[in-house]
Amino acid sequence: MSTPMDTLNTACMVWDSLAPAVKGAVLEYTRELEKFLAEIERRAFRMAQVALRDSDDALDVVQDAMIKLTRSYASRPSAEWRPLFYRILENGIRDLQRRRTVRKRVMTWLPGPKEDPDNEAQDPLDNVADAAPAIPEKLMQAEAMQRLEESLRALPARQREAFMLRNFEGMDVAETARAMACSEGSVKTHYSRAVHALREQLGEVW
Amino acid sequence: MSEQHSDAFEARTRALFQDSVDNLDFAMRSRLTQARHAAVEAAGRRAWYLRWTIWTPAVGVTAAAVLGVALWVGSPLGQHATIADGQSNFEDLELVASSEGSGDTMEMLQDDIDFYDFADKAASPDPAA
Repeated sequence: MSTPMDTLNTACMVWDSLAPAVKGAVLEYTRELEKFLAEIERRAFRMAQVALRDSDDALDVVQDAMIKLTRSYASRPSAEWRPLFYRILENGIRDLQRRRTVRKRVMTWLPGPKEDPDNEAQDPLDNVADAAPAIPEKLMQAEAMQRLEESLRALPARQREAFMLRNFEGMDVAETARAMACSEGSVKTHYSRAVHALREQLGEVW
Repeated sequence: MSEQHSDAFEARTRALFQDSVDNLDFAMRSRLTQARHAAVEAAGRRAWYLRWTIWTPAVGVTAAAVLGVALWVGSPLGQHATIADGQSNFEDLELVASSEGSGDTMEMLQDDIDFYDFADKAASPDPAA
């Protein structure tokens, strides 16, 4: 007949054998999550930067999206992470744009010097000329990208989302539809209109 | 707009965007890495917590069962049960407590006293006689 100590020892052995398995599962999960985030973080940041025209705001929105994904949806299969992440990101961008609009309206009613949130004080170092000689090709690329960003900002939000997710992030129609929470038909329509509008605006340059 | 031109346009915009991603400055890359680490660390803690909450009830039930068994075996009730299973202690008690057994013992004790009294008198004759 087994004594209570034997039973306790057996329970301890069972727990000791389970603990490494739990630890291994958690490590594998965090490694997979980190790999996914490292893969998309820069593109996501640039998309947010294009939409918001502010690096700090873009970084905040990306970080929020990362945390929200890990908090609420990380238990989902990893194949679903990308559309979910971009849906969270786009919601964050939209919320921030709404807050900006409200802030701008409030500021117009308040007395005192008017401040344009999009025209923040610039670092004087930004205006210092670069000592290195500028490469013409790089300059042309930078100018072309600036034109593209301006044109993207001029698009309706849904068209911009569809274009960036499909073309920059390389999502297929179904994945884009999940990220935008709409039908595949709507994605096709938004994307087609976005390409048409951008072509019209940039066609003569490119 | 032809399909070919459209494809070329899309490829051009894609290449421009990717170029801007590749040329992100070091400071911004570093901040993105920090943001990622913070998110992953929070996710790891949460995963531990979730798995802990899954396993804790199982461990709790096992511990409760072990404690219950230990208390049962160590309790006076459990010890009584063990003696009763053996029967020998109860039998001994019954023998000692029975009236017949005790009467025999007392009779034997009385015989011994009479014998020792006789032997004592025989060994030492009365000095007055």
